[in-house]
Amino acid sequence: MAAPEDPPPLLGTWPRLYALVLLNLALMVLGFWLFERVFG
Amino acid sequence: MSSLDWIILLGTLAFIVVWGVWKTRGVSTAQEYLRGTDLRWPTIGLSIMATQASAITFLSVPGQAYEDGMRFVQFYFGLPIAMVIICVVFVPIYYRLNVMTAYAYLEQRFDTKVRVLAALLFMVGRGLAAGISIYAPAIILSSLLGWSLNAMTLLMGSAVILYTVSGGAKAVSQTQKQQMVVILAGILIAAVVIAYRLPDDVSVATATSLAGALGRVNPVDFSFNFDSRYTFWSGITGGLFLALSYFGTDQSQVQRYLGGRSMAESRLGLLFNGILKIPMQFLILFIGVLVFAFYLFERPPVFFNGPTLEAARQSAQGPALAEVEARWASTFDARRDQAVALAAALADDDAAAEAQARAGLLAAQAELDGVRAEAKALIKQAVPAAELKDSDYIFVSFVLKYLPPGLIGLLLAVILSAAMSSTASELNALGSTTVVDLYQRLWRPGASDRHILRASKLFTVFWGLVAMAFAAFAALVDNLIQAVNILGSIFYGVILGIFLVAFFLKWVRATPAFLAALVAQTGVIVLYFVSDIGFLWFNVIGCALVVGAAALLQAVWPGGSPTPAPLEETT
Repeated sequence: MAAPEDPPPLLGTWPRLYALVLLNLALMVLGFWLFERVFG
Repeated sequence: MSSLDWIILLGTLAFIVVWGVWKTRGVSTAQEYLRGTDLRWPTIGLSIMATQASAITFLSVPGQAYEDGMRFVQFYFGLPIAMVIICVVFVPIYYRLNVMTAYAYLEQRFDTKVRVLAALLFMVGRGLAAGISIYAPAIILSSLLGWSLNAMTLLMGSAVILYTVSGGAKAVSQTQKQQMVVILAGILIAAVVIAYRLPDDVSVATATSLAGALGRVNPVDFSFNFDSRYTFWSGITGGLFLALSYFGTDQSQVQRYLGGRSMAESRLGLLFNGILKIPMQFLILFIGVLVFAFYLFERPPVFFNGPTLEAARQSAQGPALAEVEARWASTFDARRDQAVALAAALADDDAAAEAQARAGLLAAQAELDGVRAEAKALIKQAVPAAELKDSDYIFVSFVLKYLPPGLIGLLLAVILSAAMSSTASELNALGSTTVVDLYQRLWRPGASDRHILRASKLFTVFWGLVAMAFAAFAALVDNLIQAVNILGSIFYGVILGIFLVAFFLKWVRATPAFLAALVAQTGVIVLYFVSDIGFLWFNVIGCALVVGAAALLQAVWPGGSPTPAPLEETT
């Protein structure tokens, strides 16, 4: 089987999609921190 | 359980099994059976999530939030980073070599003995884990529902073997898609119903604040506290190591994304998991927090394992336990009054009253914890074999007592679906590894496709029977779940170390890598017997030992062994 470097369906390149996943992690951590500040 | 619950429970499980068999009835080649083909990213992503989500996820995690708060979510902070690393490093290599198993890559990079060693280490750890995947929910549900443990083991094991043997990797992925839909729907419905069961004048926000006042809303801890198992830093480092090892080198996960229609589909499936896994765990933990808040107003049992509590009541410790339970009731009333006072203060935005109520609530909780500890001590005297950690029973006992008919069946279907989905992946991976890395590689290299397909099915049945036998035997051994977790940690780090050497230490040859793995494995086993190191650290230590020893051995072993010829594709 070949291993073609197909682009992802959004954002155009894989590095951008990886950055989105990591940004999502950072935002989740920030959200949890705010959640704890409000309710903890 | 009502008739409606039985219909929903058995109907859901039967549908998944029948659908899995029917949907994959055309599987006729070893490639399709062992690897699956043409899977799209939503199927891959859900399959990866379903493989990791075992029944224990739904039995233990809400109970963990009830007892200790939401800090466990930090354990998953390294997972999205691991998904990105696997997409960048692992997936292209697996696709380029067109491997059936992760361990086949090790032969390409090193030689046969390294491949076989890694495959054997995987099979020991995962083979035992498959038994626990069946046993853990069976022991809890059989205890609470009065079902036969052996009948449950037999039923679950047979159903999983049926569709896994029928359609192989494709059936596992297809059924996991349905199972994950049931699981996610069940989680969301459970959260809504628990919120609905709160007192009329207590909103979800107020309930969360009340639980927060007692330390249950603590999802992020940035402190450098090495005594605390779950902090942001341990999640982002230790969690990363574990996720890399599990998703990158464990065949039960690698097999899920190797069946993608293309490398892009595999990557998208992994990233899907990287985005959704943490919110899912957060929601499950939040359900535990809501259950805790619910029990601020409704008196919980002093011990959540009902049958064990009843046995203690009937023992010589019964009168003493009755006295403790009476104090439990009065102490609970005092805590409820403080919770009501704090809820009123929060509604009135009265800072002085809030501070006073918070202090009162904390004091009442401490007193209640003391009474519970007394009750546990009495239970231990009454039933010496009793497991005092009852947090696994908190959520399921809540479901059985407070959820309406129909939803009880759905939530039990969620738990059993999770058990079946993780077990199916494990059996599928064990069968594949046994055939591809041992049987076909060492004994029958020229076997026909039809022969390999038949052997794969037979080895899957074999591992299914081993798992069921282990699950039946497990009831006879104390602390078996912990023993298996320890065993897994002892092997996991070494396997990851072998792969990291293969990927990143390009100058290290086969024999130094093989010897380093043996040295590291021996070292970890010795450490286990002579030290008090927490078993989770064996993952890091085993990995570091392999990497360090391989580099060192290669330095004093200038020639190493010659790099073998590349594997042919499809091995």
